[in-house]
Formats: sequence, C-alpha cells, structure tokens
Amino acid sequence: MASLTYYILRKIISRAIVFFIILSVTFIIPRLLPGGAFAYLVANPNVPLEMRNALIKEFGLDKPLWVQYIQFLKQFFTTGNLGISFSRLKPVSDVIMSALPWTIALVTTSVVLSAIIGILSGAYAAYKRGGKFDSAMVSTIMFIRSMPSFWLGLVLLITFGYYLGIAPLYGAYTYGATYSNVLEFMEDVLGHLWLPMLTLTLLYTTGYFMIMRNNMIDIMGEDFINVAKAKGLPDRAVVFKHALRPASLPVITALALDLGWSIGGALLIEIVFSLPGVGKLLYDAVYMTDYPLLLGIVVYTSALTLTLVTFAEILYAYVDPRVRLR
Amino acid sequence: MSSAVSNWRRSRVANYLEPLYLILVKNRRGLVGLIILSIPLAMAIAPQLIAPYNPWKTVDKPFLHPSFKHLLGTNDVGQDIFSELVYGARISLFVGFAAAISSVFIGTLIGLFSGYYGGVLDEVLTSFTDVMLLIPVLPFMILLAAVMGQGYVNIIIVISIFAWPGVARLVKAQVMSLKERLYVEAARAIGASNWRIMMNHLLPQLLPLLTAFIVLRIGGAMIAEASLSFLGLGDPTQKSWGTMIYWANNSGAISSGLWWWITAPGLMITVSVLGFTQIGYAIEEYVNPRLRTRA
Repeated sequence: MASLTYYILRKIISRAIVFFIILSVTFIIPRLLPGGAFAYLVANPNVPLEMRNALIKEFGLDKPLWVQYIQFLKQFFTTGNLGISFSRLKPVSDVIMSALPWTIALVTTSVVLSAIIGILSGAYAAYKRGGKFDSAMVSTIMFIRSMPSFWLGLVLLITFGYYLGIAPLYGAYTYGATYSNVLEFMEDVLGHLWLPMLTLTLLYTTGYFMIMRNNMIDIMGEDFINVAKAKGLPDRAVVFKHALRPASLPVITALALDLGWSIGGALLIEIVFSLPGVGKLLYDAVYMTDYPLLLGIVVYTSALTLTLVTFAEILYAYVDPRVRLR
Repeated sequence: MSSAVSNWRRSRVANYLEPLYLILVKNRRGLVGLIILSIPLAMAIAPQLIAPYNPWKTVDKPFLHPSFKHLLGTNDVGQDIFSELVYGARISLFVGFAAAISSVFIGTLIGLFSGYYGGVLDEVLTSFTDVMLLIPVLPFMILLAAVMGQGYVNIIIVISIFAWPGVARLVKAQVMSLKERLYVEAARAIGASNWRIMMNHLLPQLLPLLTAFIVLRIGGAMIAEASLSFLGLGDPTQKSWGTMIYWANNSGAISSGLWWWITAPGLMITVSVLGFTQIGYAIEEYVNPRLRTRA
C-alpha cells in the first residue's frame, strides 16, 4: 500500500505544478496585451470608479510586475479572488462558483452513464463481432463522431423541444416557479436536463464504446481466454466474466485523459440548452468581452479537470496495481 | 536517351499516382470518402457555378421557408441560405486544411526533437505535451481567440496551438524506433549531422504517416472552427458553416422551428468530416497494411 500512497502523492504534486503554471499563464496574458493589465482587468465603463480603485489596490496594478504577481497569487490562494466580472459586477470566483455545480452535475452524470453504456455495448459488439449490432453501432458512432457536438445538441433540441414538444427549449428549471419540496424541484430540473444529458451521453459513449470494443477484441485472443474456453465454459461466461473486467480498465484511463475534452463538450451543450452552468458564463464573457470572467473560467475549469483527472488516476491505480510502479 | 528520360519521368509520375489510385479508388473506404467529399469540394472550388444567388445580397423577404426559388429558404436579412451554404464551404474547408497542416507541422517538430534527442529535452517536451493533452482545451482556445480578435487566420493559429500534442506523441514513438535502424547508424558513422539525419533520413520515412495524420485532423479542425464560430468568435464579414449556425441560432431558428437553417450547415460539416476520416483511414491502411485486420 505504501507504493499507492507514493503514487498518489506524486500525482498530486505534479498536477499542482501544472495548475500553478496555468495560473501564471492567466496572470501573464492580460499583461502582455497592448494596453496592459489595467485595460483588460479594470478599465471598463461598467465598473464604478471606487470599485476600480479598490481593484487597483487589491491587485497592486500600479506596482511593478513581480509585486503584482505576488499580490495575484496571494489574492487567489487566500480568497480565491480573481478580480471583478465586468458584466455582473461581482467577484469572478462568486460568479463561477454559483455556476459550477450545474456543470459538474451534468458532466459527471453523463460520463458515468456513458461509461456504463459504452463498456456493456462495446463488450457485446466485440462478442458478436461483425454481426448486425456491431456493424450498426460502429457506423452510427462513426457518424456521431463526425458531428460538431453543439450541432447534435441543436438538432435534438429542435426535434424534441420544438417538433415533439417533450423537452423545454431552454433553461435548467422553470423560471419563477415555486416548489413545495425538494422532490418537486428535482423533478422540474430532471424534466429540463434529460435532453442535454442524453446529448452528452451520446457524445461520450462513442469514445468509450470504441475503446472497449477494440480492447475486448485484443483480450479475446489472450491465453487465459483460451484456457477458459478449453475448460468448457460457455461463450457468454468467457466474455462477461473473464474478458469484461480486464478490458474495461483502459476505459477508466480514457475517461480520465478525455476529461478536458468532455468538459469542453459539456460547456458547448450548456450554451445550446441555455443552462445556467459555466458554458453560459463562457458565452456571456465572450459576448461582453469580460476578460476577468474569461480568465477565471480558464482557471476554474482547469482546476476542475485536473482534480477529476487525478481522482480518476488514483481510482485506476487502486484497481490496477501495475500502474503504481510506472 | 530522350525516351529513357521520358520513361523515367513517367515512372516518377506513376510513383505518385499509384498510391493515390490505390487509396482513393481501390480502397473501399477511400472511394466512399472521395465520393462524399466531392460535394463540399465542388462547392469550395467553384461556388459561383453552383450558388444561384450572391450570398451577401438581400434577395428576398427574410425567414422564407424552403421553396424551388430558395432551396433552403432565406435568413434573417433575406439572403439565400443555400447560396450561403455553397460559399461557406471554402472558409470551412480552408480553415480545416490550414489548421490541420500547421498542427501536424508543430507536432512533428516537437515529436522529432524529443524522440531523437531524448534526455532532458525529451522530458521537458513530453511533460509539456502531456499537460497540453490534459487541460480543458476549449476554454483556452476561446480565451486566446477572444484576446487575438476575430478573423480566420487567428482561428487557424488558435486551433494549431492546441491540436498538435496528439501528433507529437505519435511522431515521437515512431522516431524512437526509426533512429535505432542500421541506416541511421550508418549515416551517423559517416559523419552526418543530427539535423541532416532528422531532415534527410527520418522525416522522409515519416511522410506517408504524416499525410494520414493531416487528413485525419482536418475533420477535428473543421469542428473546432465551427465551435469557435458558433460562439461568435468567427469573422462576421465572412461566411463559414459555423457562422451560419451561429446566426441561425441567434435569430431564433430553434424557437420558430426553422430546422433546415440549423441542419444544413451542420450536415455539411458532418459529411465533410466523415469523408476526410474515411480517406485518412484509407491512407493509414496503405501506409500500414497490418491495420487492415481490424474492424
């Protein structure tokens, strides 16, 4: 077990370094631009003068660069403060923190769902390799993978929302509705979120299915599978008892490594369905050229991705002891 | 003598034409890809021959439904959507090509250096590559695109900056096995410089594979362009399939049920991506015949 602790520690330290670099990059970017940090982080007609002065003092924008850097890091690590959003006149961290739960809920639910679906359907397709199910799945997935993710969302939205009328056209809950209990709220939210979740699950499943199917095909050629067959086990038992487990391990790795991509896809889907998550903030920040908010989103989504990736890797190391040695 | 020269020339030409024939005609996937791609390519090459109207001109009332006069109706300012679609092919495909080529270029250089030299340089470049593969690329691309300003050259740069890591990883693996070959050792023995070995002995070996990488990455680059344009980061004075979806979505195409406006440009992107992927696989199969056994 000691090696597991060592592995976890090493992973956390290297991820922390990566995060520190990202933080520094977001510090440098506005300061490299023509006009400098002042123009990009404070000077906006929306921001009242006293707030502007407070910001200059907080981040030491009138001081030399290295002082600014220390102030910036101090502000972030003590209060999570990354400045004031132009468009909302609230601290960037507050704005993002109130949107983050929606994004996390959307991503984690869809990732878990599609990993399960991908593993099971991928295993079945490999078991019936070349059959009807297999070839139908492979060509459908080829097609879905060629689509821009946000466009798939738009097509599903106009089909289910406008033409079939069984999904709301926007939002994650009914605006202005009052709920007598939590259950009612949950029902309302689920009624709004099922379509974006379906979209994301479709998108994520494509990757997991292909990885699972190809692994399964490789593993079916291994010696221990031949042994299982030789001792007279039925095909079904060989596939689902002996091959499924080792073949599904790499799916966890893929899941971890693809999280950055998955979160990006989720942000676009949130924009399509006007959900109140980080994607919506991103869209607004681009639209209003709200640089502090944009930089904040980069920092927080990176933090989220790195945390989830590290978590998935630790999980993997726990399940498969071999990786701890690498 | 002259016939010998012309024979030699013909064989040179045949050297280039033969793989092209094997990939695009003899290979089923390649042929399918070629057929699929003929539509967007025709649109990109000669839009003025296909489009019935000038896509920048108001030619009719806004929000018209599809008819024989306007195959895909008209948009919010009365421009013919089908003509927009035809003219949009050029930007979408060009951005895809350019971004794919430049990201493979960056990835190849980084993979070549880290695979050939190894050591500290490799450590640095590899961990840099790993970080790039790990970060949530979309917010970074959006930040950079927003900072650099609208315009397709900027979008190409932004996509290339974030699309190279996969290439670098694959190239590095190839270089590490290639540099152990005898002919590389022979080149080193007669005093060839590192630069010469990389450029004259390793790179040519990689070229077929790199062609496959480029073709396989055009699709991803096209999707990235569409995503950035969908967020309003494209050039508003130009027409690409992504900006068309952006305008459709922002003019209430969803809430008024104008499905053709949303569907057509996305379908063109999907079809093009599918076509490039098929051809990419066909090239990969040609380069590495062992791949044929799978799928």
